[in-house]
Amino acid sequence: MEQLIFIAVLTAIGFFVGRHLEAKHYASIKEREKQTLHVPMMNFGAKQELPQAHEAQLFVGSVVVANDYFKTLTSALRNLVGGRILVYESLVDRGRREALLRMKEEAIGWGASQIVNVRFETSNIGGQTGNGLAAVEIMAYGTAIR
Amino acid sequence: MKYVPKEITEEVNVTPTHPLVNFAYLLGTVALAGVVVYALLGVAADQIAQRINHKTEEKIGATLVQTLPFSTREGQDDSRLEYLNELVASVELDLEKGGFDTNRYPPVKVGIMDTPVENAMVTAGSYLFVTEGLLAEVKSENELAFVLAHEIGHLQNKDAVTALGRSLVWLSVNVLLGIGQQGTSVVPNAFNVAELNYSRTQETDADEVAIALIQSRYGHGDHSLDFFRRAQEKEPDFGQFNRVAQWNQTHPLSRERIRKIETTFEANGVPLSGEATPLPENIHCPNFLDCDS
Repeated sequence: MEQLIFIAVLTAIGFFVGRHLEAKHYASIKEREKQTLHVPMMNFGAKQELPQAHEAQLFVGSVVVANDYFKTLTSALRNLVGGRILVYESLVDRGRREALLRMKEEAIGWGASQIVNVRFETSNIGGQTGNGLAAVEIMAYGTAIR
Repeated sequence: MKYVPKEITEEVNVTPTHPLVNFAYLLGTVALAGVVVYALLGVAADQIAQRINHKTEEKIGATLVQTLPFSTREGQDDSRLEYLNELVASVELDLEKGGFDTNRYPPVKVGIMDTPVENAMVTAGSYLFVTEGLLAEVKSENELAFVLAHEIGHLQNKDAVTALGRSLVWLSVNVLLGIGQQGTSVVPNAFNVAELNYSRTQETDADEVAIALIQSRYGHGDHSLDFFRRAQEKEPDFGQFNRVAQWNQTHPLSRERIRKIETTFEANGVPLSGEATPLPENIHCPNFLDCDS
């Protein structure tokens, strides 16, 4: 009984706090995406000619996002029946956009006119000890030119 | 081609379902499946309990007894064991008179658990344990006989082996699914679950058997409940919340239980007053040797 109450409290904290932080993060992401929209990001194939540039430099942006207790519990339940884990979609979406933004903002600060060949890397952090995903690291990198 | 910045407003990567709706749906599915599985396990366990033969039951029971967290003094030389075994056997004699089937469980083997907690228990294979605490607390043979008769009631209703059956099935399913990764210690786990699983209905049913045995043994219901009465005095009174408190424990609260048993005695036309049968002296000491001085 006490254990059930304990879990319920943790879940409620996870849900309300997690949701509040997520909403705040999304607001910040959307705002910064608008501000950095003027610098194009694009990928080129091996035989395509790269745009003219005086200087080029690699920029890396990375972020680690943790899931909350509510997401963990929901995903554990989802694990029993299978299917899409909806609660993790926003988690990785936030991670990708935040990593990209960090990379882009740094490149803009350097004076980039555009960023070419952007790539993503993802890895689990702390997934080995407990069951399920504790946190995810997402890294975005690309070549800025000016 | 000129680059024209364009804001992307739609969210394709995040499903718009509300997380709580999603959670409720998942919880509902899993809970429903759980209930179905548990019901099926119950049926399977009952089947196992009905079909298991006495030899197998005793073998399982012997394994369980080894995992007990108390020293049981079963193999020890204590003349009290002889006395308790005889008492159980003579209480059992009344099973036939009460119209019960007499070959429902393997022969009872009594042990004494070295713990001050006042309790008695049975496990699969008819291993019956009374605690030192109980022996120190009982004041007449009637009290002790009622407790033993109650445990015989559990055996008669095959409660121990049913609980064991359910937890064993449950554990094998868990191990198969890999949910609880504790497959290495299956037996102690099974034992814990088996211990907890005596429901309040099972307790009441065991009391019914005990009542029948006691009234046929002594011809009256006096003194048999004194042990419960003393236990009741130690219990906190929750007043109106007694009903709620009762939900949280497997044994019905003593006052509720005493009332129910007395009503049954009266309904059967058994007097509630009579002589107490004395216990042998120094029953709380090994071999009945005075241990107080």
